[in-house]
Amino acid sequence: MFLINCPYCGERDQSEFSAGGEAHIERPKQPTELSDDQWAEYLFMRKNIKGVQFERWNHAHGCRKWFNMVRDTSNDKIHAVYKMGEKPPIK
Amino acid sequence: MLNFNTPISDTKEYSEIKISEVEPILKINLRGKNRDFITKIGKELSIITPVEPNTSSSNEKLNLLWLSPDEWFLYSNTKIDVKVGRVLEDKLFNEISKLKIGSVTNVSDHWIMINLKGAKIFELLSAGCPFNFNNFKNSKGAVTQTLINHTDVIIHNKNIDDLNLFVRRSFSEHLWSWMNDSARFI
Amino acid sequence: MTRNLRITNNKFIDQTSRISFKFDGKTLYGFKGDTLASALLANNIHLVGRSFKYHRPRGIMTCGSEEPNAILQVGNDPSMTEPNTRATEIELYEGLVASSQNCWPSVNFDMGAVNNFFSPIIPAAFYYKTFMWPTNFWKLYEYFIRKSAGLGKSPTEPDKDIYDHRYLHCDVLVVGGGISGIMAAKIAAKNNLNTVLIDDKNVLGGTTLFQQNECFKINNSYSNEWIKKEIETLNSLKNLTIKTRTSLAAYHNYNYLLARENLTDHLDLNEKKDKIRQRLWKIRAKKVIIATGAMERPLIFNNNDRPGIILSYSIKKYIDYYGVKCGQKISLFTNNDSAYETAISLSNSGVSVNSVVDIRDKTNSLIVNQVEKLGIKIHWKSTVVNTNGYKKINSIEIMKLSDDGTAVVGKKIKEECDCLGISGGWTPRVHLFTQAGGKLKFRDEDNVFLPDTTELDQISIGSCNGDFELDNVIKNSVNLTNKFLKINNNNYENLEIISSKEIEKKNIWLLPSNKHLGKTKSFLDFQNDSTANDVKLALREGFKSIEHVKRYTTTGMATDQGKLSNMHALGIIAETAGVKMGELGTTTFRPPYTPLTFGAIVGRNVGEFFDIIRKTPMHEWHIENKAEFENVGQWKRAWYYPIDNENMYEAVQRESKAARDSAGILDASTLGKIDIQGSDASEFLNRVYTNAWSKLEIGKCRYGLMLNEDGMVYDDGVTTRLSENHYLMTTTTGGAANVLSKLEDYLQTEWPELDVYLTSVTDHYGTISICGPNSKKILSKIIPDLILSDKDFPHMSFKNALIDNINCRVMRISFTGEHSYEINIQSSYAKSVWEKCFEAGKEFNITPYGTETMHLLRAEKGFIIAGQDTDGTMTPVDLHMDWIISKKKYDFIGKRSLYRSDTIREDRKQLVGLLTEDPNEILEEGAQVVAETNKQPVEMLGHVTSSYFSPNLNKSIALAVVKNGKKLKGQKMFVPMKNKIINVTVTDTVFLDKENKRLNA
Repeated sequence: MFLINCPYCGERDQSEFSAGGEAHIERPKQPTELSDDQWAEYLFMRKNIKGVQFERWNHAHGCRKWFNMVRDTSNDKIHAVYKMGEKPPIK
Repeated sequence: MLNFNTPISDTKEYSEIKISEVEPILKINLRGKNRDFITKIGKELSIITPVEPNTSSSNEKLNLLWLSPDEWFLYSNTKIDVKVGRVLEDKLFNEISKLKIGSVTNVSDHWIMINLKGAKIFELLSAGCPFNFNNFKNSKGAVTQTLINHTDVIIHNKNIDDLNLFVRRSFSEHLWSWMNDSARFI
Repeated sequence: MTRNLRITNNKFIDQTSRISFKFDGKTLYGFKGDTLASALLANNIHLVGRSFKYHRPRGIMTCGSEEPNAILQVGNDPSMTEPNTRATEIELYEGLVASSQNCWPSVNFDMGAVNNFFSPIIPAAFYYKTFMWPTNFWKLYEYFIRKSAGLGKSPTEPDKDIYDHRYLHCDVLVVGGGISGIMAAKIAAKNNLNTVLIDDKNVLGGTTLFQQNECFKINNSYSNEWIKKEIETLNSLKNLTIKTRTSLAAYHNYNYLLARENLTDHLDLNEKKDKIRQRLWKIRAKKVIIATGAMERPLIFNNNDRPGIILSYSIKKYIDYYGVKCGQKISLFTNNDSAYETAISLSNSGVSVNSVVDIRDKTNSLIVNQVEKLGIKIHWKSTVVNTNGYKKINSIEIMKLSDDGTAVVGKKIKEECDCLGISGGWTPRVHLFTQAGGKLKFRDEDNVFLPDTTELDQISIGSCNGDFELDNVIKNSVNLTNKFLKINNNNYENLEIISSKEIEKKNIWLLPSNKHLGKTKSFLDFQNDSTANDVKLALREGFKSIEHVKRYTTTGMATDQGKLSNMHALGIIAETAGVKMGELGTTTFRPPYTPLTFGAIVGRNVGEFFDIIRKTPMHEWHIENKAEFENVGQWKRAWYYPIDNENMYEAVQRESKAARDSAGILDASTLGKIDIQGSDASEFLNRVYTNAWSKLEIGKCRYGLMLNEDGMVYDDGVTTRLSENHYLMTTTTGGAANVLSKLEDYLQTEWPELDVYLTSVTDHYGTISICGPNSKKILSKIIPDLILSDKDFPHMSFKNALIDNINCRVMRISFTGEHSYEINIQSSYAKSVWEKCFEAGKEFNITPYGTETMHLLRAEKGFIIAGQDTDGTMTPVDLHMDWIISKKKYDFIGKRSLYRSDTIREDRKQLVGLLTEDPNEILEEGAQVVAETNKQPVEMLGHVTSSYFSPNLNKSIALAVVKNGKKLKGQKMFVPMKNKIINVTVTDTVFLDKENKRLNA
């Protein structure tokens, strides 16, 4: 059970959060101008890496804010959390 | 006349724990992002808008709780006459929602308020709540939204060993009976 | 009871309070403070079970959680009996009933013991190999194997005990209340850290508590006297919480730990009632100090499993702590100094020690010299090659070891004994450290795995960190704790410590015998009955990985997870395979450290607290009116209201007819309701729904369909424009939470520029739906000043109104196709308004209807239910809802996906109506739809999603999704069932009132 540092509320138990998949996938501004392949790329393709991964999380049972997290999937270590719209603090 | 019904309307006492549902009070959800909004609600309610996370501010009549960077929860200390409540709600709605600086939503019946008093109330909460109350219990006015027995709640630390807990109405009977069941073993 | 097995000068057992208990039907006596194991030994009972595979007699072997043999069934109440409990951990209480497991008809005469004679033909993986074929015979084999194996009986009735959970947050958690843990906890608490100290025993102090020996002294006191004073000072520390009888079960990432506290297991039967039996602590610690000590290892030699063979340090605890002699003539067999402590303890209590068999050449440490002074014979450089005695050991055979330790030489000496203490050195308890992801390192000099690196804020101190001698334990524990907690004042500097030092070390994993290896039984895993031979066989058969050998031989896979002799298995594998032990690694220790009861895991989440229950404001009325309830998500919804002896079908037929003939009333409070405000509210709705919203007039309602980004239908509902920038959205009951969360997601992450605010008001309003041709008349009785003409209050519009001075919103919307109204009023008044509607409707035979009738009525009209007729693979086009997709809008969620190559296929599964050839035949929901019946395998074209008998049409109707369904209208199809094939015709989805005349009736 992780201890997650919500960028708004502080450290909370993982049970207050829900995970929302890979971060930094922007919804295309003009979907109608995309080919099937380009749209499929946005819609379906996700990395699933062993190692440092950028993820979206939601403090669902707290402030209900979405934020980003840098997590190492091999040992579940959370390297950083940062607000939506902010640049990742780690590469 | 229509009859007023609440799911609980009861008070129970255990060793160093007293749990009671509090008379219906006015509850309003306020949302807004910019400075205008923050100044406006402060002015309209004669209360400082808490911008520090997990805090609240109170005056004789009202409490304003921080819920998120763009959301606050207002509740009255005592029961307010339906008409007086409507006047306050309309005033806020006209000054905020109508002027497009935020939203004002009456949630009086969305939430049920349960008051917990006594030296062992935090033990009761810890039977089903993963939140760390170690600092919370010593800071008057502290606010948290968390889960108790898998149910969403807002908790407002009113005073030493005296807190108000808000739970959605449809969940309230179940949480109430869970709290009473757990209090037996504290 | 046999008096002479108890010594009388004992500080820990209250010999004035006698306790009676039953073992295998026989009444026995022990004392307060005994464990079941110590009480049995005091009654001269060693034989407590039969081994798993060979049914060999087995006796108590240890005094702690690593016990492999004394695994008993406790309690005989079918609701409270507990299998697989360790006698060494059960505190004796008045009325305790225990029995042996895995033996039939009794532990003394066990039929299964014939397996022992067949043992040469039951090697490792015998069952795997033998019962592999023929494949379909497994069912038969399994029945017999399960009957003859199995450990204990499960309770057959629900558990009457009460269990509980509790969260705990602390600065420092110290696991283990031995000498290291006590010192660490004291240092932490004295430095203002909120500290918790837990220990699985009923008292703190660990083994130091009974260490009264000249060779181990602190500040000129025996170490037991010193620790006693230390424990006394703990009670005055404000920041320290001590939990005894609390065993750490699991250590997870982020210093999240689970500990089980036993609250009533030690109490007399009549004192247990109405109390919490076990509490599971969910601990979040900033820092964790592990001080779990070490376990003594057995030695692996021929016939090392006979009752009466006990770990040497356990014999010491039984005599020093419990005052129980494990035998009258005890022999000891060791490779290290600790058996000598046992020899001294026994000797001090007047038990004669035959001899010590030591595999080392010779040593003269302080403690060995002391034993020699007592005149106890020591067989240096020797080993036990065999033991005798079937149900209890009666003699051992000793031989000299060769110089290289691989063989035995010289003459065999036979020594009579009634108990053999064995000691193979010590294994640090690193289980918790590794559970939490810590990596181990191997120390060659004494063959131990020690904590090495960890990602967490934790340390291991004392013997679980590899310190086995008193002075090192104290010095290193204190230093490590200080450094870990970043503090430097403590009371443990300048202690004067006397400690015997072990000088000579020698280890042989598998001790040689004068017999050929294949003819010996040297047990490694006592609980799973696997021998050194089995492990060697596995290696010969080509298994190399330790994890594979473990699974093949089942070594280390019993309920004790191989605590006792995993190290020996590793050692034998390393030796045989010719690799270094450090390189071989270990198997993984997984939580729980000791087995947990299901009760403790489940806690209070049983009975009414099994799942959350949500109730509508009118719930009480439904109960008073005998409604049957249906679970919809966490909601309890009124399902139907049977009158007299009606069954569900009859009630639903009546309700459905009444709703169309006159008036029906439905509790729709569970629908999700979201209050939407903000200057971009209309634009927001344009983006989330498939249809256009900007032009919706204030005061009007519109049905909306919400898609996922993949173009599939996600949710639907009616949204009302309350004012210019203010809407009230409704969602399905089940989708409410997800829809709000999805909309918040888009607002926060994709469209932060939109000025829109969402607030859930689901619970704020009770929703009452009145439908049917008389609904208008009923509403006009309740709100007389509301003008209800179609012109003033048309279908799909809303009005603000007052009922007895309480504000409410009335929407004229319909999910049944009837003229109907929905009243939304503050929940506190909803029940009262509902009753008012019911009163007003009486003259029109207003009929309350539940979810089942609602489903039937909407099916007559061909309205879908998101989640019943859709399953996340249906586009609006598949549902004939092309009309709701705006062609003008540039974008909305899911739009682009509607013309992907897959979604524009014409032969997708599409929604159709089905009519049965026999109008009285009702299809089963979920039944398959096929085009032909005489081909095998037949192509599954689709399935029935909704099916009812319509009382208003007097025939059976159904909705189904069928491949290429749009083009099949009018075609005959088949629904094959178990005993028959039902003929159906594909139809339009609207069965009733295609012209929508009833809406304005």
